[in-house]
Amino acid sequence: MKKITVILYGIFLLLFAFFSYVFVDPNLVYLKNIYSGFAFSNRLLTTIFYTFSVIIFFIFYGIFIYLGVKKRINLREIFILLGMTAVISLFSYPAMLSYDIFNYIATSKVLFFYHENPYIIMPIEFAGDPLLAFMHAANKIALYGPIWVSLTGIPYLFGFGNFILTLFSFKIFIAVFYFLTVFLVWKMSKNIISVILFSLNPLVIIETLVSGHNDIVMLFLALFSFFLLMKRRVFFAILFFVLSIFIKYSTALLFPIFLYALWKTIEKSEVNWKTIFYFSALLMFVGFLFSPIREEIYPWYAIWFLSFIFLIPEKKILVFISLTFSFGLLFRYVPYMLFGTYAGLTPLFKLIATFTPASLVLLYFFYKKLWEKKSFRQ
Amino acid sequence: MKNEKFFRLLILVFFISVFFKTIVFAQSNYVLPYPPNMPGSLSYKIHLIYENVSRYWYFGNFGQFDYNLKLSDKYLVEAKTLFEYKQYLLGYKALKKSDQYFINILPNLVKAEKDGKNIVQKKAILNEASQKHIELLDKMEKSVPSTFIWQPEKSTPTTLDLKKTIDESIHLVEKNV
Repeated sequence: MKKITVILYGIFLLLFAFFSYVFVDPNLVYLKNIYSGFAFSNRLLTTIFYTFSVIIFFIFYGIFIYLGVKKRINLREIFILLGMTAVISLFSYPAMLSYDIFNYIATSKVLFFYHENPYIIMPIEFAGDPLLAFMHAANKIALYGPIWVSLTGIPYLFGFGNFILTLFSFKIFIAVFYFLTVFLVWKMSKNIISVILFSLNPLVIIETLVSGHNDIVMLFLALFSFFLLMKRRVFFAILFFVLSIFIKYSTALLFPIFLYALWKTIEKSEVNWKTIFYFSALLMFVGFLFSPIREEIYPWYAIWFLSFIFLIPEKKILVFISLTFSFGLLFRYVPYMLFGTYAGLTPLFKLIATFTPASLVLLYFFYKKLWEKKSFRQ
Repeated sequence: MKNEKFFRLLILVFFISVFFKTIVFAQSNYVLPYPPNMPGSLSYKIHLIYENVSRYWYFGNFGQFDYNLKLSDKYLVEAKTLFEYKQYLLGYKALKKSDQYFINILPNLVKAEKDGKNIVQKKAILNEASQKHIELLDKMEKSVPSTFIWQPEKSTPTTLDLKKTIDESIHLVEKNV
């Protein structure tokens, strides 16, 4: 049963990776040989394929959680599964759902190729650069922190000036941080369910291993700083926390809770790490909810709170809400996929997709509690 | 007959006035900044430090292009404002600073071109900016005295050749267009 599930999961991932190439941008000259335009000319069919893919992804996820709960899967098997997931996802088209990876490359190119400051000079200022034909934020200066911009020098260097190599080099770079984060989740929770919940979450896989978002780097550094605090390595804990903030700034929200944990550590008093993770998750969730102030709620922002919530799987309601958010957020892509516009009903459908599943779960728990109270009184 | 002549003259005057109006008011679309803090305040001194430090933040040829153009614009506006308030010595110094930053712009574009960067857009910006600078310098030239004797306390007076300095600035900018 387990073996068949893994094989089927592998086949599904292969099909998903193959499907991702229907989204190849018409202006992406480097992949013009495999450009089909399918996603743009067959919107309904693409949306149906995508919807079913997300559902199947979650069915497998449910099976893996079940195997974990029933203790029928061990850590070694999980890491083999993750290795398979990472290798197959590596070959998927990263701009299937978001063009951010192109922005990372462009920012990196501004600094490491053109030797200009990406916080002043925009990619669009390099007229004639091939990246301008297909990237979506050419008229923006660097959006991310200096640590991220500096780190991108590594995958950019390994791209050896070749765009395709650079693209996959960025994906490998992100995958490394994914594995480091999974390893940390294990080290910090010592709970196989936490590892499964985080590492095999379809949103985490799609946004990290397929789309290559840098949120995982920020979260790894934040988790690592908490891990170092657990080990009472105060100096390095502070250092990695600051590094995390200067990836994408969002972890700055964790400052009060980090300060509290730091104070407790210095004071050598007992730190309730479960409570620390609980409040960290809440703070990151607040950041997630308030992200429309800057732009909008992007699905990959969920990684901010998922990383902390899955460290405390005993908080069942929070875990269920997180799972439904993971599910709903992946459907934020559907309206644009179907209508091909960000205007009209798209924003409304996005809102519905984001909050409906989580609201239903909340309602379910609310009525369950109410019913339990009633039956207790009777 | 008299009326016909009058109408012909009127039409001629109209066309001439339209033609000259176009020439006289042809202006660059380039937008100069608001007047900055003026010398004498503490924030001005702090800003001078910031300017010197930010030189390193604006690394790269395009960065240096932006930095020098930005400061050349700033000091030109500062000079204009100071001249308007008859602060000729300070205005003179600001104009000299604007020139100094303007001189640094073109070499950075040349370097960028040598590095293989497409400088067409930047050249267009520089052209627009230069035209704007000339427009402003022309206006300033008309409103300042040709010379001004600056008499500091307990020191020898200095003669500021204002018109000549503005002329030099115009030539400097024209050379870059």
